[in-house]
Amino acid sequence: MIRRYGTLIGLVGIVVVFSVLRPDTFMTVGNWLNITQQVSILAVVAFASTVVMVTGAFDLSVGTMASLAGMVAAASMQAGLGIGVAIALALAVAAAGGAVNGLLVAYLRIVPFVATLGTLTMFGGLALMVSDGSTIFGRAIPQAFGAFGRGGLPLGTVDGRAVILPNLTIVALIVLVLVWVLLEQTGYGRRLYAVGGNAVAARLAGVRTRLVMLGAFVVSGLGAGIGGLMLTSRLASANPTQGDGLMLNAIAAVFLGVTMSDEGVPRVLGTLVGVLILGVLANGLTQLQIDTYVQQVLTGAIVVGAVAVGSVRRRAS
Amino acid sequence: MPRLLSRFVVAIALSLTFAVAQAGTVAVLTPYLASATTKIMVDGVEEALTNLGHDVNVIDTAGDVGALDSRIQDVVLQGVDAIVLSANPELVPAAIQTASDAGVPVFGLDAGSLVGLQADVTSNNYAMAAQTATYLVDALEGEGRVVMLVHPPYAPVQKRGAIARAIFDNTPDIEVVDEIFVEVPGPLENARNAVEAVLTANPEAGSIAGIWAAWDEPALGALQAIESLGRQDEGIAIVGLDAIDPAREAIAGGGNFKATVAQDFAGIAQTVANLVDDALSGEDVERRTVYVPASLVTQGDLR
Repeated sequence: MIRRYGTLIGLVGIVVVFSVLRPDTFMTVGNWLNITQQVSILAVVAFASTVVMVTGAFDLSVGTMASLAGMVAAASMQAGLGIGVAIALALAVAAAGGAVNGLLVAYLRIVPFVATLGTLTMFGGLALMVSDGSTIFGRAIPQAFGAFGRGGLPLGTVDGRAVILPNLTIVALIVLVLVWVLLEQTGYGRRLYAVGGNAVAARLAGVRTRLVMLGAFVVSGLGAGIGGLMLTSRLASANPTQGDGLMLNAIAAVFLGVTMSDEGVPRVLGTLVGVLILGVLANGLTQLQIDTYVQQVLTGAIVVGAVAVGSVRRRAS
Repeated sequence: MPRLLSRFVVAIALSLTFAVAQAGTVAVLTPYLASATTKIMVDGVEEALTNLGHDVNVIDTAGDVGALDSRIQDVVLQGVDAIVLSANPELVPAAIQTASDAGVPVFGLDAGSLVGLQADVTSNNYAMAAQTATYLVDALEGEGRVVMLVHPPYAPVQKRGAIARAIFDNTPDIEVVDEIFVEVPGPLENARNAVEAVLTANPEAGSIAGIWAAWDEPALGALQAIESLGRQDEGIAIVGLDAIDPAREAIAGGGNFKATVAQDFAGIAQTVANLVDDALSGEDVERRTVYVPASLVTQGDLR
């Protein structure tokens, strides 16, 4: 029990500590809905990254792809295109970028780290090119597009205040279900895990490993694109570097999730726990007024600590 | 005894008078604390507010605007009395709305936009860029090829670049050879590499007459590039902006670095702190942008 759920227990521990130290503001419905909205963008990117990491590869380009997708959508809307067209264009760019990663890794056999490091830089450059480096904001972003990121489903009232399930949280939940079904309930998911376990054996068993990898990178690109669109909606603005920070956190979340798996493979529900740990830490440490530099050190130490405990117990078992 | 009592009453009355300025909790948020100038202003506000008796919490999101949005929500839920924001509020409209709904006033520290804010205290970036660009044009006697070092994603710096470009374009014999995007973090190093490349591509003495940098760090990088290529005797003039200490030293040294502009960071910080203090004391704070004057610093000033 403790072996498998150590990381989950860690999350519960963090929640208990914050609840005790900030009883009036942390453990409230409002704050928890707030946390789900805050982690929603990272969650979508991390869920999609899980699909690539299941195959044993990485996608370092998800952060700059999120920036690029947001810029493409914002620039399209600035140019007068409809919201639907802008979203479609952004997602098309994201899928295409993912396909480029997939081709480089699966067909040209470039190590994922190197291939996606290269595309990371390319996507970042393209994001800057879209607006010549400027931030797109204000009237260029239609009201309805920004309203989505702020709005949500009314759930009722607590203490006279309206409680709203944020739209971004709903999007993250939908993506969670889709990725869970893809990984755990489909033949494609089983082939992904087979490639991650032993690519040669999978190929000998008749799995078209290259196509499987290509698909995984397209999913990862699309996830980054959706994350970028969510960020642009939430901020009602698009900055050419605003999604860049998502990549390291997404990978950290997946690794935190891996610690919950006996086989040491990424599972999307594990990634969810990883995302929540990062989100709850950021929210709670801010409420405790911990110095931001100390926050970074603490967050990094907790990630490393969790992964270390996970690897020690796997060796022990 | 009555005397003692009356003294006691007077003492209480006096202490109440001085206690009108309510001590409050103030969160200072920025994604740019790694920038030398933001750090100076944030430290200044923190010190000034602490001296006024307030509890100050500084939060940096290391360049991440999405995280800035989240942290603003956090401090509003935490129940702070006021927020000081050193970033463009139009980048985080939803969070600003959250603060406004909760009745928490937000004050801009060199924010560059008044949207959703109670007040913004800043230097006028258009005016400062005009000061350095015209200084450079005059120093070159209106003639020569100029390289610009810019960073448009940061709105205040984008404004500087736009106005400098307009001034160069409006001067018939000034040609802008290149507008180089300086990557952040690492502006000094990145600018040095970029300027080395430009100088290498333009080997003839005098082929680059001036370098206009949107802030001091790339200007210092340009200076290093000129020195490392041994081209300091061609008379290439560099101007920066912000007057950070290493820039002042370089200008005082009398080399290629000719001028910068000193923003009154202490004045900006103190003004923000005073406005926050006024608001927390229940005074009406006029909703406006407060421009704090900045002055050109040349080699003559530092000699």
